[in-house]
Amino acid sequence: MMRFLLICTIFLLFTFSAHSQSLGPSLDKSPMDMSYYPNNYPLLKIQDNITGPAVARVIYSRPNKNGRIIFGELIEYGKVWRLGANEATEIEFYQNVKIGSTKVKKGTYTMYAIPATDKWTIIVNKETDTWGSFKYDIKKDLLRIDLPVEKQSEVAESFVMFFDKATNGISLQIIWDDIKVSLPISL
Amino acid sequence: MTSRQILIFQFFAIFFFSCNVKNNDAKKEGVKDSLANKETVNPYATHDQSPLDMSYCPKDYPVFRMNGADSSLLVARIIYSRPQKKGRSIFGGSERNLVPYGKEWRLGANEATEIQFFKAVKIGKQKIDKGSYIIYAIPYQDKWTIILNSNLYTWGLHMDSRKDVFKIDVPTADQVPILEDFTIVFEPSDSGASMIMAWDKVRAALPIIFLK
Repeated sequence: MMRFLLICTIFLLFTFSAHSQSLGPSLDKSPMDMSYYPNNYPLLKIQDNITGPAVARVIYSRPNKNGRIIFGELIEYGKVWRLGANEATEIEFYQNVKIGSTKVKKGTYTMYAIPATDKWTIIVNKETDTWGSFKYDIKKDLLRIDLPVEKQSEVAESFVMFFDKATNGISLQIIWDDIKVSLPISL
Repeated sequence: MTSRQILIFQFFAIFFFSCNVKNNDAKKEGVKDSLANKETVNPYATHDQSPLDMSYCPKDYPVFRMNGADSSLLVARIIYSRPQKKGRSIFGGSERNLVPYGKEWRLGANEATEIQFFKAVKIGKQKIDKGSYIIYAIPYQDKWTIILNSNLYTWGLHMDSRKDVFKIDVPTADQVPILEDFTIVFEPSDSGASMIMAWDKVRAALPIIFLK
């Protein structure tokens, strides 16, 4: 028993000494990522393959499922979630667009979600460069839209967002675990 | 040591560990959970080996903002990808080096590194207008040339030098200890901020002067 405890202790100590990087932050557990529309716009650009201007970009952090139950447990139903991790998720439109019946001017916004079992409320808010949803301010909302939840057969380990072409423009696909929500954006 | 002493020690060890986990949330210290080795099952987009990150000037501005800080404090933000050393020799005069001297380097990985100034600043003697730029470097042994360029939303290879808007040489210094992850952070300085760029054994700093 004593030997076992000693080994555990050494192992524990080793674990924390392994993650220090003295200057600033080391890599994030929920790394940041970005998605453009058109997809892979920066790559297409250096290949001289772009057919039109960039429309939108989302910057978000990507937590992992890590065996947890996500919706209903890690992320409680009915509460504002930052759609990711760390800094509030940011969406930038390079042209004017429309979401639901609301005009969205070219510019940068913060996005949040309120997940529920059968629908999600997606929020587009004007307060940028903030952390998470802890001080989310409803007065700075530009719009809210309710969207149906689709169950997926495949489980996404990492939270992911990307754009797809849709009938009247594009849609932002929001996927984690076995849940998918599509935000329609009219151009 | 008796097993009781070990237990007490372990209790403290666990306590210390949980403090670290809390820090992670505040992004003070990240657990380096080697992303490359993690088999991430994701049918859409896997985690990047050189994950994206952002640094604000002032450092941790989003946390200040969440706690009610005035938005006029915000000066700059950089969005960059963070490659890791992984035993390689990074900067050097040979083609074997990952980042050879005299060649343009995107200051990161993947997409071109992007810096946004939320207000006009001065770098060297030049005023830099509010707005977004891509930023890249040409490293040499004793200096790095840092370049701002207007060709936004591009991948970090083949910089279009016709769109360069500003260039400055900054000296290099030794980075101690060696950094596994490429890191950019803003630190306060007498005249404004210093944008520290560091990886492996090398560190360079871009001086940013705040305008009154």
